[in-house]
Amino acid sequence: MSRTRATAWSAVAAGIVTMLAATFTACAQQPAPPTGTPPTAASSAGPALEVSATPAAAVAPTGLKIDRLKLDVKVDPVGVDDKTGDFAVPPSVDVVGWYKWGPALNATAGSIVIAGHVDSAEQGAGAFFHLRDLGPGDPITVTGADGSTRRFTVTAREVYPKAKIPLERYFARDGTVRLTLITCGGPFDASIRHYRDNVVITAQPAA
Amino acid sequence: MATEQTARVFGNWKGFPMSIRLTLRRAAAGAGALGAVAAATLLAAPPAHAAGTSKVSVVHGIPGQPVDVYVNGKKTLDNFQPSKVAGPLDLPAGNYDIVIVKPGDPVTSPIIKVDQAAVPADANISLVAHLTADGKPTLTPFVNDTKTLAPGKARLVVRHTAAAPAVDVRAGGQPVFKNLTNPNEAKADLPAGTVSADVVLAGTSTVAIPVTDLSLAEGTSTIVYAVGSAEGKTLGVVAQTITGLHGTPGGVPSGSGGAADRGPAAWVYLAGALGLLTALAVGFALRKSRVPA
Repeated sequence: MSRTRATAWSAVAAGIVTMLAATFTACAQQPAPPTGTPPTAASSAGPALEVSATPAAAVAPTGLKIDRLKLDVKVDPVGVDDKTGDFAVPPSVDVVGWYKWGPALNATAGSIVIAGHVDSAEQGAGAFFHLRDLGPGDPITVTGADGSTRRFTVTAREVYPKAKIPLERYFARDGTVRLTLITCGGPFDASIRHYRDNVVITAQPAA
Repeated sequence: MATEQTARVFGNWKGFPMSIRLTLRRAAAGAGALGAVAAATLLAAPPAHAAGTSKVSVVHGIPGQPVDVYVNGKKTLDNFQPSKVAGPLDLPAGNYDIVIVKPGDPVTSPIIKVDQAAVPADANISLVAHLTADGKPTLTPFVNDTKTLAPGKARLVVRHTAAAPAVDVRAGGQPVFKNLTNPNEAKADLPAGTVSADVVLAGTSTVAIPVTDLSLAEGTSTIVYAVGSAEGKTLGVVAQTITGLHGTPGGVPSGSGGAADRGPAAWVYLAGALGLLTALAVGFALRKSRVPA
C-alpha cells in the first residue's frame, strides 16, 4: 500500500513539476527553436583576392511577394539611421526596406537583407506581421528595379533576442547568396515600446 | 576580414618572398619624413589576418619608367608599368631586400635599392615607388588603415608622392586636406558617393592636378596617390582600393505596436494545463484511497 501511495505521490510531484516548468517557460520564454538549416556563414573564410572587373550594376529590389502570407509589398532602398546607426526600416509599415549598402538582387554572394515592421503603435499591423509563420519550403519572389524577378525558398526561421543576434552574419557580403528577411517579435515591453526579439527568415535562391 | 582589391593586378608574384613587414629601412636617399607616417599608422593598424602575415601591395608612381622589381634577389614584378598597382600578397613578417631596375637591367644597377626592408606582422601595407619632393626615385611604405567603417561610410586617403611642393586637396572647390607634403597622407571617413576633387599648390588656387571624380564605394577605402613631377609636367593620380571594411547596422528596430506579442506558444499552456490536471487527478485519487484505510 505504501508502495502504491509513493508511486501516486510521485505522480503528483511529476504533475506539479510539469506545471511549474510550463509556468516558468511562459514567464521566461526563450525564442522558439530555429527550424531548418541555419544560413551559410562562410564569412571570415579568408580574404578573396579579386581583380576589380567593373562590377555589374546593382539591381535594387522593388517588390516582395510571399503567397503563403498573401503578401505583396513595395520595397524601398534604405541605409542606416544617422543618429542611431540602426537599420533605417521605412516608417510606413506598408513598405519594407532593402539594405542598399549590402548585396543587391543580382548579387552572386552575400546576404540580401530586407527588413520591415511587424507593427507600429500608430499604424497597426505591418507588412511583416505574419513573417514568423513562414517555414522551410515556403516560396518568396523578389522583383527588381530592372523588371527581373528572383525566386527564393525559405530554409530557416530563427528568433534571437536583439542583444544577441549575430547581425554580422545576416549582413555579410560574402558566402553563398541568400535572402534575409528581418522583423521584430517575441515579448513586447510596453514601457519602452520594444519587442525583445528579432525574427529572421533565411531563403536560398530557388533551384 | 578586410580584403584588398587593386585597380589592376600586374606581374608575376610567384617569387615574392612571403612577407614584407612594415618598417622599410630605406637605403635610397630621402628616408626622413616617411618614418613618421609609417610608424604612426603602424600603431593604429589593427591585427587583421593570420598571425604574422601582412598584405602588401606595390604601387608604381614614377612616370615614364617601367621597371622590374626584385625581392630577395628574385624577380617578382616584370616590366611593371607606371600608374599600376600590384598585389596584394600575403607575406610573413621578415626583412626583405628590394631592388628596382629598368626592365632587363641587372640588380647591380638599381634605380631604387632597399636593404632589409622590415615588414611587420598583421598589417596592410602599400609599397610605393615614387619621386621625392626634389625628384629622386624612392620607395615609401604606407600602412593602410583597415579599421571597420560605420555603415554608409567610405574612407578617402590622399598620399603626396609627387615631385611637387606642399599641396591642398579640394573637394567641391573647398580645401579638405591642407598643406600635405611628400611623403605624407591625409584621410577622412566620408558618406559613400562621388566626390569631385582637385589638387592645388598649398594656400593658392593654382591647380596642380585638375578635378577628378572619385567614386567612393560604401565600406571601402580609396587611396589616391599624387604622382609624377610638377617640373616635368607629369603630375597625375594613381588609385588603389581596399574593400571589405564595411560595418553592420547596430540593430533592426521594426515594431512598436505590441500586437505581435502572442505570448507563450500554445504548447506551453497545454503542458501547464496537463500538469495541473495530473496533479489534481492523482491527488484526488490518493485522497480517496486513503479514506477507507
